[in-house]
Amino acid sequence: MSKAKNPAGGKDNFTRNLVIAVVVGVALIMLVPTILSKQTDTSAAIPASVSAEDGYGIVFNKELTGVPFIEIYEDFQCPACARFESIAGEYIEELITTKKAKVAFHTLSFLGGESQIAANAAACAADEGKFLQLHKTLMANQPSENSGAWTSSYFSTLGLGLGISSPEYDKCISTNKYKGWVNNVAEEGSQRNINSTPTVLINGKEIDRDTAYASLGDFMLAIEKA
Amino acid sequence: MKNKHLVLQPWLGLIARLTLGGVLFAAGYLKIDKPDISQMAVRSYEMLPISIANILGLVLPPVEIALGALLILGVVTRVAAALGGFTMFIFIIAIAQAWAKGLNIDCGCFGGGGSVAAEDTRYLQEILRDLGLVFLAAYLVRYPFTKFSIDKKPREISEAIGDVE
Repeated sequence: MSKAKNPAGGKDNFTRNLVIAVVVGVALIMLVPTILSKQTDTSAAIPASVSAEDGYGIVFNKELTGVPFIEIYEDFQCPACARFESIAGEYIEELITTKKAKVAFHTLSFLGGESQIAANAAACAADEGKFLQLHKTLMANQPSENSGAWTSSYFSTLGLGLGISSPEYDKCISTNKYKGWVNNVAEEGSQRNINSTPTVLINGKEIDRDTAYASLGDFMLAIEKA
Repeated sequence: MKNKHLVLQPWLGLIARLTLGGVLFAAGYLKIDKPDISQMAVRSYEMLPISIANILGLVLPPVEIALGALLILGVVTRVAAALGGFTMFIFIIAIAQAWAKGLNIDCGCFGGGGSVAAEDTRYLQEILRDLGLVFLAAYLVRYPFTKFSIDKKPREISEAIGDVE
């Protein structure tokens, strides 16, 4: 099909080529920034209780050895995560305060937008020693997905409610200080093949998806066995 | 019969183009702002090494949008249809192997994806839908000149078409 023989070919090809160029250009504009943002940024600011070795998770009882290591991958906006928190949250908190387990929280942002705002805020609260409190409050009052409820001012107010009065916290929220860290957590989760939230691992092994997420008894049993 | 198809072909082609293009465009558009979920959906097929699955999860949505847009506009229809059909063919293989392996996943075709409860899998419907789309793509590769497209039918083909068919 040699288009050159078509008398109107030159003009047709111009329109056609223009459309191709625009479509391919738009696709690249969508693709390139996403790929770049998916690179782990080792220079990103990280909260005090976080280390790259623990997969950028927010870690409690880091110094303990010989206790079960619980890793929790979750998204603040995911309803199943709120359900798991309501079932096992209190017990996990108790394990942390009584130093019976080492616990790492990985705040993924699968659901986009407000999950990222919440994950950043959680890191800001971690710097103030209030991560667990913020975590509990958010999960217990989870709004529907990306409904516009979770804004900077929401988290500033929430901070006051949790007894955080430092100006650094507000600044951390409003400047989205841990944006790079939030990306790093997501990237680490994707490299570790975390394919649903919540995902809970004990000593590196996922708990039974059929039972341990929905029942405190089964979850406790899984910890005992570890 | 042949003459009837001659009249209908540009219109059938238009329907095929808009259906295949519309599905591709929608599939890409619904995933483009959720890259983490798109990556997860590809990973959960357990078909590719994790790092490659993660790249594919990022590349797939804009590619689907681009192919969809080309088909809707009717630009380089034959090439776009061939690539779109090839994509659907790969999806069929991926879904079939997930089914055969006994994975419980959502295809993640239009966003979502990842593990689901066993009774919520839709493998057969997903495969049948994609087979239909492969068929439309094949039709467009065979008859790429359709109504309301930017692609113009070259004159020598228009003149010769009586003999060709």
